[in-house]
Amino acid sequence: MSQALLEVNNLVKHFTTGTQTVKAVDGISLSINQSETLGLVGESGCGKSTTGRLTLRLIESTSGEINFEGQNINDFNKRNMKKMRKEMQMIFQDPYASLDPRQTIGETIMRPLMVHQIGKKKDRYNQVLELMEKVGLDPRWVNRFPHELDGGRRQRVGIARALAVNPKYIVCDEPVSALDVSIQAQVLNLMQDIQEEFNLTYLFISHDLSVVKHVSDRIAVMYLGKIVELAEAEELFHNTQHPYTKALLSAVPVPTLEEKPHKIVLEGDVPSPKNPPSGCRFHTRCPFAEARCKVEEPELREVGSEHFVACHLV
Amino acid sequence: MSTNTQVSNELPLPAAKPRIKKKNPYIDIWYRLLKNKLAVVSLGVLVLLVLTALLADVIAPYPANEQNLTNILQAPNALHWLGTDAYGRDILSRIIYGSRISLQVGFVAVTFSVTLGGIIGAIAGFYGGSTDNILMRFMDILLAIPGILLAIAIVNVLGPGLVNVMIAVGIASLPTYARIVRASVLSIRDQEFVEASRAIGESNFSIIRRNVLPNCLAPIIVQATLGVAWAILSAAGLSFIGLGLQPPTPEWGAMLSEGRQYIYEAYWVTTFPGIAIALVVLALNIFGDGLRDAMDPRLKQ
Amino acid sequence: MKEVLIEVKDLSVQYTSEGKEIKAVNNISFQVNKGETLGIVGETGAGKTTTALAIMRLIQTPPGKIRNGSVQFDGKDLLQEKESVLRKVRGNKISMIFQDPMTSLNPVYTVGDQIAEVIWLHEKVSKTEARKKAGSILELVGIPAERGSEYPHEFSGGMKQRVGIAIALACNPQLLIADEPTTALDVTIQAQVLRLMTNLKEKLNTSMILITHDLGVVSEVCDKVAIMYAGEIVEYGTLEEIFRNPSHPYTQGLFNSIPNMNKKVRRLTPIVGLMPDPTEIPSGCSFHPRCPKAMKECKSMKPGNIQLNGEHKVSCHLFDETVVRGRVETNEPSTP
Repeated sequence: MSQALLEVNNLVKHFTTGTQTVKAVDGISLSINQSETLGLVGESGCGKSTTGRLTLRLIESTSGEINFEGQNINDFNKRNMKKMRKEMQMIFQDPYASLDPRQTIGETIMRPLMVHQIGKKKDRYNQVLELMEKVGLDPRWVNRFPHELDGGRRQRVGIARALAVNPKYIVCDEPVSALDVSIQAQVLNLMQDIQEEFNLTYLFISHDLSVVKHVSDRIAVMYLGKIVELAEAEELFHNTQHPYTKALLSAVPVPTLEEKPHKIVLEGDVPSPKNPPSGCRFHTRCPFAEARCKVEEPELREVGSEHFVACHLV
Repeated sequence: MSTNTQVSNELPLPAAKPRIKKKNPYIDIWYRLLKNKLAVVSLGVLVLLVLTALLADVIAPYPANEQNLTNILQAPNALHWLGTDAYGRDILSRIIYGSRISLQVGFVAVTFSVTLGGIIGAIAGFYGGSTDNILMRFMDILLAIPGILLAIAIVNVLGPGLVNVMIAVGIASLPTYARIVRASVLSIRDQEFVEASRAIGESNFSIIRRNVLPNCLAPIIVQATLGVAWAILSAAGLSFIGLGLQPPTPEWGAMLSEGRQYIYEAYWVTTFPGIAIALVVLALNIFGDGLRDAMDPRLKQ
Repeated sequence: MKEVLIEVKDLSVQYTSEGKEIKAVNNISFQVNKGETLGIVGETGAGKTTTALAIMRLIQTPPGKIRNGSVQFDGKDLLQEKESVLRKVRGNKISMIFQDPMTSLNPVYTVGDQIAEVIWLHEKVSKTEARKKAGSILELVGIPAERGSEYPHEFSGGMKQRVGIAIALACNPQLLIADEPTTALDVTIQAQVLRLMTNLKEKLNTSMILITHDLGVVSEVCDKVAIMYAGEIVEYGTLEEIFRNPSHPYTQGLFNSIPNMNKKVRRLTPIVGLMPDPTEIPSGCSFHPRCPKAMKECKSMKPGNIQLNGEHKVSCHLFDETVVRGRVETNEPSTP
């Protein structure tokens, strides 16, 4: 394993609205190695998107460290942070909302080049065309507006914009969940290709377990602002430890006629992050919960090689 | 994708100049506007008005202030199509020259309030928090006073005259634009494409200028069109009560005021400037409504 | 042989937009037997939702228009009946579950009232009786009856979808049309709702048309499957037939596009290209520009419905013996 590109220590984000505090991310630690894809899965409201944005400082964290190549970017001033943006980029979920409807495709892709003054002025147009070809967009679309493109093409524009500054690390926030399956496969392949070509490191956020498994080297599972399990992809799927992960995996409808493993259907809804349950946050829905799960919060600890679980019963 | 490599080869690309040509996104709006007959007619009236103002020297039969005391208060006739006033001045010529002033007041006052109000609204909406609070409470104070009263008060302080009228009318309509821009900015600020701009390292200023303002242009344009009508009406009102432009300037409101005393003997002195004001204000309102319908995506089929 | 509940024949729906004709649904035919679930699978713009709306004759006219076809239900052709007759069918004998539980409920009425209204509208009962029945239906979908006095915003997404199901089931319909009922829900909540739907279906012996893009959901719920592409059903069969022996190249493409949790593949094999523009559907077989096995005939000739084994039908020239034999005789290569 190569060394960590990004290391997050005890990251916390609390949103305060009026008198209420939403504990969106509540003390998570993880590291992402150079050139790997770390999958981050969980249900809506578990804090996975917030975590992704925190690592880019698109949202300011309440506390904790974000070390990128050994430097804590939470300590950076505005100027250094702007320089750092060249190293870290993001691909967004909604290809409709993430492109400015009044900017042409060409302008959208050229902006990062202009902001960071990459290349000579007169070469930038050609750079844009090269980027477009790289992501499989017909260069003739350069003067079109986003609403003239379909979802898959727009997502390619988003990818080209992220690639323009030649970053090392890209947060992919549900990049294919708004796309049809046949287009989804095209975009996933593209993302794999550019990862290899540019030696990219991905934080891949998704609720779709089959997609996450397909792209990830390691996977972290989040529940209510905490990481409950973290392991290599195959290990996580074949040697699942945490009861929540087990339920999550069994809940996915698999398109096959083969005998399916017994479904664990969790009762009830995810509790509100405004006042998460005491002790282990999953105890209200956990079929195996014991007395101490209500009181004592389990630590994330290593149970096998590179396999971390936060559960008293493991 | 094989199709891509194919087309890129045969495509003649302007390699030398890195200019990205922009297709006008308002072209659809224009076509939708053309479907609205009433709006097209009112646009015609407005175009006519602008031409009249520009070509006043050519088309006006007499100079605006040429007095002819032998011809006072003549009813409309072949020489004076709309009659003459108490000094024997040709009313048609005065209305034609008056269009220059009305248009000037309308456009300058609105440009002033759109610019200033827009900046205030954009800053308030984008930064939020106490900045927003201070700026918008100040706007609320302005809004608490009826527009025309505010304008009267300002002209009273500054004194009469064209520039002061424009300033007064402009300030009185500031809060409307500040509010509209703030509301649009608030809805755009949290959109993903703004976050995307942040992610590539754009500065706040650049985000406001490139992403936020162009996207809230539509409601501003509509409001500005309606605002021109309000400004023309207010300026005429100010002149009518003697606070605006002073005689002998051919201002429509002032003309109404001057003709008031002869309203029973010589209806034409007040009627025709009145019709001019009504026509322009009506045309602007109808056009503004048509523009709003054309720009509203909910009405898009 | 099972009893047929609804039979759709040669249904075509067309929309007009800015002077252009959009053929949303073209000559589709299918039937649903009593107690069975038919899955209609396809991507955005395939015409799934239009088909569902056309069955209940809820297509907005204009811009939409049902061009031709018949929908035989309960001895009547729903496309020919008067509006007053249809109103008695909708929500009563055929009811619908919508994709977005956030917007399909009326925010200003309590959940109980919304269910009671459907009952009161279709059954000759007093309002108090209707409310009582509404409570028991809520219990049926796993919501305590007391919560009937709460407003939609007090429910979570999964709970709202249960309410949507409760409204749909209020009058014991014979047919339930569910349009992407779990797409907006989280996986664990989706599992709850799917379990609820299959349990209720067995308990009440309701037939169902399930519209979805998710082959996983189909495999858990459906008995029959229809694959739609560009307004046509390109393949139809039992769940077994479609999943064991997907025959149409589009169906195969769909299966290959999904990452499989059970096996590791390095790269996915997507279908090339994009869905065709609905105003310019390609000639011949509408899938031919994206089809890896396209032949010369596919461009010029529309394939007929070819019966394979059992109930399995496919609309593809590869299975048309006259086309394939003609090729062998003239010795043409099978790919252009």
